[in-house]
Amino acid sequence: MRKWQVLIAAVFLFAALFVPLLVPTDYTLQILFRVFLFAALGLAWNLVGGYAGQLSLGHAAYFGVGAYGLALFSKLGISPWVSVLLAVVVAMICAAAIGSVSFRLRGPYFVLCTIAFAEVLRLVAKNLTNVTGGDVGVQVPLLFTHSPIRSFYWSGVLLTAMAFILTVWIERSRFGYYLMAIREDQDTALSVGVNATRSKLWALLISAAITGLGGALYASMFLFIVPDQVLAMDISTEIAIVAMLGGAGTLLGPLVGSVVLESAAEIFKNVFKEAHLLIYGVLIVVVVLFMPDGIVGTCIRKLSLLKKPPAAPIGTPVLASTEKEPQHLAINE
Amino acid sequence: MGNWLYALLQAIVNGLLTGALYALIGMGMALIFGVMRIVNFAHGAFLMMGMYTTYVLFQATGISPYYQFPVAGVLLFFVGYATYMGLLRRIRGQVDFMVILLTMGLALILVDGAQLVFGADYHQINIPLLSKNIRIGSQISINAPWLVSFALAMALAGALYWVVTRTMFGRAARAIAQNPYAAPLMGINVHQVQAIAFGIGSAAAGVAGALLLPVFYLFPEVGNQFKLKSFVMVVLGGMGSIQGAAIAGLVLGIVENLTSLYWGNEWALAVDFVLFILVLSLKPSGIFGSQRA
Repeated sequence: MRKWQVLIAAVFLFAALFVPLLVPTDYTLQILFRVFLFAALGLAWNLVGGYAGQLSLGHAAYFGVGAYGLALFSKLGISPWVSVLLAVVVAMICAAAIGSVSFRLRGPYFVLCTIAFAEVLRLVAKNLTNVTGGDVGVQVPLLFTHSPIRSFYWSGVLLTAMAFILTVWIERSRFGYYLMAIREDQDTALSVGVNATRSKLWALLISAAITGLGGALYASMFLFIVPDQVLAMDISTEIAIVAMLGGAGTLLGPLVGSVVLESAAEIFKNVFKEAHLLIYGVLIVVVVLFMPDGIVGTCIRKLSLLKKPPAAPIGTPVLASTEKEPQHLAINE
Repeated sequence: MGNWLYALLQAIVNGLLTGALYALIGMGMALIFGVMRIVNFAHGAFLMMGMYTTYVLFQATGISPYYQFPVAGVLLFFVGYATYMGLLRRIRGQVDFMVILLTMGLALILVDGAQLVFGADYHQINIPLLSKNIRIGSQISINAPWLVSFALAMALAGALYWVVTRTMFGRAARAIAQNPYAAPLMGINVHQVQAIAFGIGSAAAGVAGALLLPVFYLFPEVGNQFKLKSFVMVVLGGMGSIQGAAIAGLVLGIVENLTSLYWGNEWALAVDFVLFILVLSLKPSGIFGSQRA
C-alpha cells in the first residue's frame, strides 16, 4: 500500500514538471501553483497534525512569518534568497516558542492555543504599522525574474516533492514511530521512554520550516501582502482541511486533498460567485460526517478490508501475516 | 480630581456595559464548551443569526429590539437543538478536532448564507433611545441603549445561572459532564439533555446578538470576534463554571476598554489572546471559577 502511494506521488509530481509546456495560460499555472503550494503546506501540517496527532489550527503563523520575513529582510537590503532563508529560520524560532507553550496542552486547548498565537501575530502585524506597514501592506521582492509564473509553478512542485520525500523518510524513521506512538497514546509513549516534548517540537520545527518557505513563495508571487491575507485564520483552516480531506496521517492524503479542494474551490468560484465559501462549508461538513478518515484514508481502509483473508474460526491460532500492517489511519487521542 | 481619573472611571463603566453582553455570550459558550465539552466554532455565527433575525423583524415591524429579543432566542434555541440532533450527535465520541471542523463548516455555511441573502454591507438600526445619554456626575456619561442592553443581559445571565444550577435540567446536564457513563444509568436521556443545553447556549448567543444590535453594527462576519472571545471567557472563568464565564466576560470588557484607553483600540483583541495564552499555560483551571462542573 505504501509503495503504491509513493509510486503514484512520484509519477504525479514528475508529470507535473512538464505541465507548463502544455498549459499556455498564466492563469491556469497560477491555480496549479496554488494546488502544489497547499499540497506542500498540507504535507507539512501532516507531520504535526497527522503523524503526531497534534491538530494545529495556527499554521498561518509560520506561513505569515515566512511571507513577512521575506518582505522585511529584503527591505533591509538583504538579497531576496538570503531573506527567504532568514525568514525560514525566524519561522522555526516562532515554532519553537509557540510549540514550547502549546504542546503542554492537549485536545481542544492545544487547538485554541495555536489559534491564539496566530491571531496575536496577525494583530501585531496589523498594529506595528511602522515595521510591517499594517493594513496598508508591504511590498515583497520577486524571487524569479526570468519567466516568473513558470518558475513559481516549478518551485511549488519542488516544494511539494521535498515535503513528500521528507514525509516518506520520517514515516519509516525511529522519529516517525515516536510521533505515531505519541498520537496513539501519549501517556504510554512517555512511559516507554519516548521524549514526547522533544519529538513533537522537532516535528513542528520541520513543519514550520516548510510552511514558512511556502509563505515566502506565496508572498513573492503576489508581490504585496497584508496581515489579513497571509496571517489569517483562513490560511490555517485551509491547510488543515487540505490534509484532513485527503486523509491525515497518510502519505498521499495532503496531495489528493489539495488537488480536490483547490480545484473544487476554483470551479465553485466560477459557478457560485460570492457563495463559493458556502459550498466549502458544505464540503467540510460532508467530509467530517461521512469520511472522517479522508479520501485516501477511506480508500486504504476499504482496500485493506478486501485483501484481508476471511476471518478464521474462533480458537484457531492466528498466524502472523506476511502482509505489512496497514498504518493506523484514525487519529485517536 | 484629575481628568485621568474620569477617563479611567469612564473606561471601567464602558467596560462593564460591554462586559455584560460578553458575559451572556460567554455563559452560553460555558454551557456548550465548558460543561458539555463541545468545541463550538459556530457560536459567533449563531450570534450573527440572532442579530439578523432582530434586524429583519425591526425593519418589518418597527418594534424595538428590546421588546422582540425573545424571538431571536427562541429561533436560535431550535437552531441549536437541531444542530446537536442533526449533526453533532453523529460524531459524539470522536476527536474534538472533528467537532471543530464540523462547527467551522456550519459557521461558514451560515455566514456565507447571510452574505448571500443580505449582502456584505454594514447595517445599523436607529431607535429613539440611541440619542439619550445618562450623566453621572459631570464627566461620566452612559448611552441609554447600552444601559438597557446591560440590564437585560445581566437579568438573562442570572436566569441562565439559575437554570443551570437550580433546575432538574441543569442538574442533569452537569451530571452528564461529570460522568457521561453513569448519567444514563440514572435515567438521564443524554442526547435529549445535551441537545436542549446546546439549544440554550445557542439561544444565549442569539439573545446577546439581539441586544447587541442597537449598540453595534451588523455584517455577516460580525460573529467571528465574539466566537474567539467566548472561548477566552470560558477558559478564563474555568472550564465548566458558568458564573466564572460571566465574571470573565465583565473583566474582559473592562480589560479591553482599559487597553483601548492606554494603548489604543487596535490592541484590545491582542490583549485578549495574550491573556488567554497566559491563563492556559500558567493557570489552566481558570482565574474566576473554582467550581468545576
